[in-house]
Amino acid sequence: MASDNIYKVLKATVEEVIDESPLIKTFVLTPESPFKFSTGEFIELTLNGFGEAPFTPSSSPLISDKLEITIMKTGYVTEKFHMLKPGEVLGIRGPFGRGYPVEKFYGKEVLILGGGCGLAPIRSLLYALEAVRDNLKRVVLCYGSKSPADCIYKPLFNRLNKIEKFETYRTVDKYEPGWDESVGVVTTLLDRVNMDIENSVAIVCGPPIMMKFGTIRLLEMGYKDAQIYLSMEKNMSCGAGKCGHCMMGEFFVCKDGPVFTYEEVKHTPDLWK
Amino acid sequence: MVLEINELKKVSFFDNYSDDHLKIISKISTIKEFSVKEILFEQYDKLSDLYILLEGTLSLGISLPKEKRIHLSNIQPGQMFSWSAGFEPCISTAWVKATSPTKVMAIDAKKLQSEFKKDCEFGFITISKIARTISNRLSDTRFQLMNQLTL
Repeated sequence: MASDNIYKVLKATVEEVIDESPLIKTFVLTPESPFKFSTGEFIELTLNGFGEAPFTPSSSPLISDKLEITIMKTGYVTEKFHMLKPGEVLGIRGPFGRGYPVEKFYGKEVLILGGGCGLAPIRSLLYALEAVRDNLKRVVLCYGSKSPADCIYKPLFNRLNKIEKFETYRTVDKYEPGWDESVGVVTTLLDRVNMDIENSVAIVCGPPIMMKFGTIRLLEMGYKDAQIYLSMEKNMSCGAGKCGHCMMGEFFVCKDGPVFTYEEVKHTPDLWK
Repeated sequence: MVLEINELKKVSFFDNYSDDHLKIISKISTIKEFSVKEILFEQYDKLSDLYILLEGTLSLGISLPKEKRIHLSNIQPGQMFSWSAGFEPCISTAWVKATSPTKVMAIDAKKLQSEFKKDCEFGFITISKIARTISNRLSDTRFQLMNQLTL
């Protein structure tokens, strides 16, 4: 935690702004003091005068003097974030929530299904998995985006494919000339990966529709409810379990999640909304 | 050209088939090759063979008015396509085109159905696999539709 006081804000300076896609940017921040988080935990990012919003860091949890936040422009606050330039100062609260239990993946194959901006928390997880790859059997990333232009973190895929035990597959919903990888929704990639299902876990992160269809396909493949991990980043506001905005059935997404197993949440009404 | 049983065992579609079933499939199928951009069949073509992709990549899509083609997905090695050949009126629901040099196994659908009448277990296993392929494709299509509806 940046501070024992969950309301206290740590300042962070924007060092670099990276254009990932027409609607998505990554902001490289330098916090005023080392900031530690576990992969899958989230922070509250404050832009003075405009508001605060929850985001899951996309950088390595092993690095505490730099933080990367990937933001999709979807509304008023994110539009203001997108106007930021290097040198400007933001505020960070956190980290909050429950992240990925990486130690539970030891000795297993890890299948990761990501869609669109859902790759942001997954990138942090991939860094964490890379650091402990000697304890893992295999890591397979299946990623889908609407078009080639919407595919984020393009250099990441080349890098991962050179790491032992890591494989990546990409697909786009809409073909464009020059694209030589798969076409189709991200679930079509699952036909290719041939996992040892009994000894693997699956992680899903992306838009709600993608998470719904991805989870259904994983269950059809033979994954048990407890083997599927979902990053349910929905409706979070205060980050501290106070406002109730993120309540999902009996859970507060901000306190009990955002990472859940499907076993924990499968009976939640409106799970995929 | 035909595939021997040992080669068929390496094709993922034929997981859980017995050697006897694989012998039948080998007997009633041929290997066809296609070059890049070659069209295997058009949407609404009458089909007589079930295909299994062995090597290469194929694109599958639908046609719109004014000769516009929509590329919906890829077919990967080990996957079955042209399932319409097995069910009357045997009319293709999509076009398929080679996007790399491609080798496919073409199984004579009429001969396959004759074999099903002699061996119901063989029929059940094969139809189950075809049903799974169609189910996955339907699910993916619904996923695509919902993506479009929420834009």
